[in-house]
Amino acid sequence: MANVHVFCFFASYVVALALEGLAVARRSTALRSLGLGFAVAGLVAHTFYLVARSSAADLPPLLSSSRDWLLVLAWLAVVFDLTLSTMLSLVGRSVPMGLFLLPVVLLLIGASDLVGGATSAAMSGATDAVRRGAEERALRSWGMLHASLLVFGIAGVIIGFLLSIMYVVQHRRLKHPHDVPITLSLPSLATLARLNWWSVIISFPLLTLGMLTGIRLVYLSRHTQGPISFSDPLVVGSGLVWLLMVGFLVWLLRSDHVGGKQVALRTIWAFGLVLVTLLGLQVLFNGHTSAPVHRSAGSADPSRAAEVEEAARQ
Amino acid sequence: MNVQVAYCSHQTTPLALRERLAFASLEQLTRAYETLRATFPKSEHVVLSTCNRVEIYAAQDESNPPLTQEQVADFLSRFHGVSQNDLGGALLWQKGPEAVRHLFEVASSLDSMVLGEPQIVSQVKEAYRVAQENDACGPLTHALFQGAMRVSGRVRSETALAVGRVSVASVAVGEFGKSIFDRFADKTVVVIGAGEMAEETLRYLKDEGAHSIVVVNRSLERAERLAAQWGGTARPFEELDTWLAQADVIVSATGAAEPIVDVKRFQAARAASDGKPVFILDLATPRDFAPAAADIDENVFLYDIEALQATCDQNRRQRVREIERARRIVEEETERFLHDIYHKATGPIISQLRAGWRKVCQDELGQLFSKYDRLDAEERKGIERTVERIVNKLLHPPLEALRDEARKGTPHGLVEALKRLFFTGQ
Repeated sequence: MANVHVFCFFASYVVALALEGLAVARRSTALRSLGLGFAVAGLVAHTFYLVARSSAADLPPLLSSSRDWLLVLAWLAVVFDLTLSTMLSLVGRSVPMGLFLLPVVLLLIGASDLVGGATSAAMSGATDAVRRGAEERALRSWGMLHASLLVFGIAGVIIGFLLSIMYVVQHRRLKHPHDVPITLSLPSLATLARLNWWSVIISFPLLTLGMLTGIRLVYLSRHTQGPISFSDPLVVGSGLVWLLMVGFLVWLLRSDHVGGKQVALRTIWAFGLVLVTLLGLQVLFNGHTSAPVHRSAGSADPSRAAEVEEAARQ
Repeated sequence: MNVQVAYCSHQTTPLALRERLAFASLEQLTRAYETLRATFPKSEHVVLSTCNRVEIYAAQDESNPPLTQEQVADFLSRFHGVSQNDLGGALLWQKGPEAVRHLFEVASSLDSMVLGEPQIVSQVKEAYRVAQENDACGPLTHALFQGAMRVSGRVRSETALAVGRVSVASVAVGEFGKSIFDRFADKTVVVIGAGEMAEETLRYLKDEGAHSIVVVNRSLERAERLAAQWGGTARPFEELDTWLAQADVIVSATGAAEPIVDVKRFQAARAASDGKPVFILDLATPRDFAPAAADIDENVFLYDIEALQATCDQNRRQRVREIERARRIVEEETERFLHDIYHKATGPIISQLRAGWRKVCQDELGQLFSKYDRLDAEERKGIERTVERIVNKLLHPPLEALRDEARKGTPHGLVEALKRLFFTGQ
């Protein structure tokens, strides 16, 4: 298990993506099954890697470092891809979900290489701190909740973003049947619209609760040596992203007669902006931080909680 | 290997004769199996009877004589009361590897009227099941039909022979309709006109669960007839605008010389609707809908016969491109099947040879070891291994020759020669 490297599952996903593309071009179910096999193999390696990292840091992957947090996000995307592909194949539909999801997975794994993975050295100390006091334990629990809510919320945003792209592609295929290759089989517009709606409805409360637990973390960190600031760029950026989500949700709920394509296009813009902002902030403000530094518990970075713990230890 | 098939299909035999030769009911099939059993008691049989083909497969073990084309023709002639003259040259005949290949091609839908159509697999399975129920199968037909299922599965999964629909109505509903809606049970289907194409499309829509069907036609009487046939309601042509606004699916197939729904008319209908997606199949020639109606809003999905036909042609071309790959699989599987069968035939002689030689070695080694009892365990093992290698090297050429011959058919002559040369027949 300890010998699994990021390259193992990254390479598996690259092969799975290439096979999925070939399967679409050649309409080959054998290639598609092989691609799914590689995706499963990648997922197994991915899981082993996260478990090994978690054991080494003595912390859940969501708290050990920003890098692991992004890898958890990628892991969730692969699980969604495989689950939906299996469910659709059970009802006789072969949909190349991986063609849309795997590029994002690869992007997340790539981004994880740019952000800080160096917090692991501080993690053992943080764990000691956790063992020491009730306040630190509370800090860790809230940190875990904060990170989980945000990671699931962002996974919902990624899925909504991709479903909207699929909607637009499917819509174009149906409006102009001979512009898009007939070999590309996608779920119906009704299914995509419904799933997209649910992704918005689920991810918004998760992100909101993630923000609220972040505020709680700020409160808990006030007695530590590195109190969290609301002026941290990650906090400010996350707040703006949340406001954007609120605006989008209000528009969505009030738009009774807006066409599905309009909803999909706006989802692409809104969710795309959310993802670019959150991942960009991660890379810009966290990627080169080797020493744990307090910025904000309300930020989109769940490893912040771990940093808070580190500060408490000091 | 004794496998034969007598068959007539859509490619060679007119429908009128196929109808006379068909085994239309289960009772008739049961009677056919009884007759076959009585007439050819040493033979295994499977009868495959569909609207496109009638085929009788027969197989016997090596000790029984194979059936002849005349015998099967005689059976068919007597059973169906069709004179041999009428049967003429319609009944084709294949035996041995060709018969196996034929079944594999049929099960893979390479011989079907609509290339790659999936029903034939179920029909082959059903024929095999009925044959089993009638105790007409044996080891050869079991292996043959199970092999056919395997080949069919391989062709389906490794090629795109069955991918994409190839009839206008199935493309319309299956490829376009199902890409817009999840289901049709809650959709209002409005049929304008009562043409044949509209009927075929309705059949597919009904299969997908559509039950709210409204037929609008200039002749209310024809509308009522069609509506009654499909469990819908008939409405006068004057209500067309109301139904255009309410419809989720519109199937239009009138014989009008001019478009009956122009942009202005359809714009008014869309304004009266809530902007929900509408799927329009304009199956009329000339068209019933002005093409520009598709651009009224993003939720209008309008397809005319030309667009649907183009998709059918594209799918058909895609299937044709897959024929070669499918044939390669059939060829591979035929060879594998024959090899397995022949291997089973030569298996006992190979085992006998090996066992016989091994016994001789063990006896001789026993004598040797009792004479030289100072040999330690390591030395004994070394001698045993050397003797085993000698035996394997000596046996290699005859066994290889046997395997090579088995690829071409059961090597009766060689098997007999080996038995006589090495006394294994005793």
